Amino acid sequence: MSVIEQPNPATEAQLIKTERTFQRFTVGQRWEHAALFLSFTVLLLTGLPQKYFNSWGYQVITTPDRLVLFRRIHHIAAVVLILEVVYHLGRGIYLMVRRQLGGDIFPTWQDVRDAWQMVKYLLFLRKEKPSFGKFNFEQKFTYWFLFLGIGIMVVSGLIMWFPIFITRFLPGATIPAAQLAHSSEAIAAGVFVVIWHFYHVHVERLNLSIFTGRLNEKDMREFHDLEYKYLTGSTTEAGKDENQGPPGGDEA
Amino acid sequence: MKILGIPSGWHLRLAALLVIGMVGLSVFLKPKDSSQAANLNQQTEEYCLTCHGDPDLETTLPDGETLSLYISPEVLRDSVHSPLGIECKACHTNITTYPHPKLEYNSKRELSRAYYLACQKCHSDNYTKTQDSMHAKAAAAGNLDAPICTDCHGAHNVRPPDKPRSHISEICGQCHIEIFNQYKNSIHGTALIQQDNPDVPVCTDCHGVHNIANPRTSQFRIESPELCAGCHANQELMSKYGISADVYSLYELSWHGVDVSVFQAKWPNLWHNSAVCTDCHGVHDILATSNPSSRVNPTNLLTTCQQCHPDAGPNWTSAWTGHNMISLEVTPFIFYTKAFYDSFTPFVLWISGIYVVLQILRALVARVKRSL
Repeated sequence: MSVIEQPNPATEAQLIKTERTFQRFTVGQRWEHAALFLSFTVLLLTGLPQKYFNSWGYQVITTPDRLVLFRRIHHIAAVVLILEVVYHLGRGIYLMVRRQLGGDIFPTWQDVRDAWQMVKYLLFLRKEKPSFGKFNFEQKFTYWFLFLGIGIMVVSGLIMWFPIFITRFLPGATIPAAQLAHSSEAIAAGVFVVIWHFYHVHVERLNLSIFTGRLNEKDMREFHDLEYKYLTGSTTEAGKDENQGPPGGDEA
Repeated sequence: MKILGIPSGWHLRLAALLVIGMVGLSVFLKPKDSSQAANLNQQTEEYCLTCHGDPDLETTLPDGETLSLYISPEVLRDSVHSPLGIECKACHTNITTYPHPKLEYNSKRELSRAYYLACQKCHSDNYTKTQDSMHAKAAAAGNLDAPICTDCHGAHNVRPPDKPRSHISEICGQCHIEIFNQYKNSIHGTALIQQDNPDVPVCTDCHGVHNIANPRTSQFRIESPELCAGCHANQELMSKYGISADVYSLYELSWHGVDVSVFQAKWPNLWHNSAVCTDCHGVHDILATSNPSSRVNPTNLLTTCQQCHPDAGPNWTSAWTGHNMISLEVTPFIFYTKAFYDSFTPFVLWISGIYVVLQILRALVARVKRSL
């Protein structure tokens, strides 16, 4: 379980004020994010000058040798990202099959209802924010939109990297289509990370749980109320799907 | 009566009119080139032809070659120079009388290479241009057969080179026999030679006229697509023949084209292998794509791709969209990919953006309320 540090908060709280924190991510997951963050950044930095090669890109890629270098770095970062994706999926599937990882990340109809209630709240049609579980719909949206995006980037990138091999099995039209998809999806994913992910983890609140692994009580109550109640046992498990495994229980 | 202190009188007025008239006339009649004017009306032709009109007049040069000294009066009459009064002495400046000074040349070629220098007297612009040409470089390297003015234009029989237009390419074909034979059978060459088509390129349209550059440099190669675009991006010209004028702009967007445009702009002197027009279509032997012998005809396209992509298989050719715009009919795969990125992705991003803006507004309102 994830409630650590304060085995008996009631007595201690009378003497000193301590902040309870709740585990959100394992060390492994934090390293995964670091790998994703680094490879994503390097891929964008080395990819965008290639995409805009004939407008501003050649001011960065100032020699043909540097173009070769950019492509090499891009490929290395791509391999890191692919390894991360393979590890992430392999580990996730393995743990879920062994019932050691809950399905909290999968979208449910409750997320649609939550989103609708949230929109109502944002439009002043509702006083309070809705209560969310371990991953709220915003976070699930981040995860799955980037999941789709990275999937497209990896597939289209590999098609462009090994075009001769790919066209042994697939029609040639996949190559220009992959080029278009890779080029467009890069922008889409980049813009999405900036407007959506950055806002939610930096502007709305500074959420460093992906680096520290833990989230404070206040944020837990505001953004993951159902999860908070479930972890602290302060209420029944209403709203929690019984089929889901123990939350945060992916420390294998 | 005095005007401005000048005594008036009919003779003064007449004198003034005369002066104005003479100045006007002299401006009007002023020849364009005074050096040319000096050589006009030499009246030497008739005199020279009294001897050189004899078909049997000849001499033997030191290397054993027989040099005919016969000049046909008809040939002179049909040339551009003689009817303008530019006669023998304009070029043969060292001959003033008979007996002539002794010929100091060992061979016909040596003689030609000496006499052609006379051309620059009047045609100095074009003469100067030839000094930068590939031909001049070949001559400087010791190839005395490299062409000089008279090899292309003729000596006594100088005529407009473009009447008919095909004559230009035929002149080049005198030496560049193999290339001319390729060109003759190309789509450009057949239109030129069989139909006297005014639009197709003759040799000089691509290679230049007097300052013909080396076409094997990286710079020539990297600039060659622009050369083709000179005609093939011309909407008006291409519509006459039912050819798309978008081929160049679409090429510029292609993988090959982006590379080439950057190399052209940044590194024109570095050799680059990304395909230019001629790599696929051929150079002098360009044929219509519908022609089964064309390198880019579907039957030959794979072989053409394999020049650079030796391991490519049969599916490979469809990776090339054939200078076509993205359309459902021709490029459905790319069409749907584009449709996806034109609809779904912008939709998601807009929704995300609007949602975040709403969140910001809601958070601001909440903060203001709290502070009240």
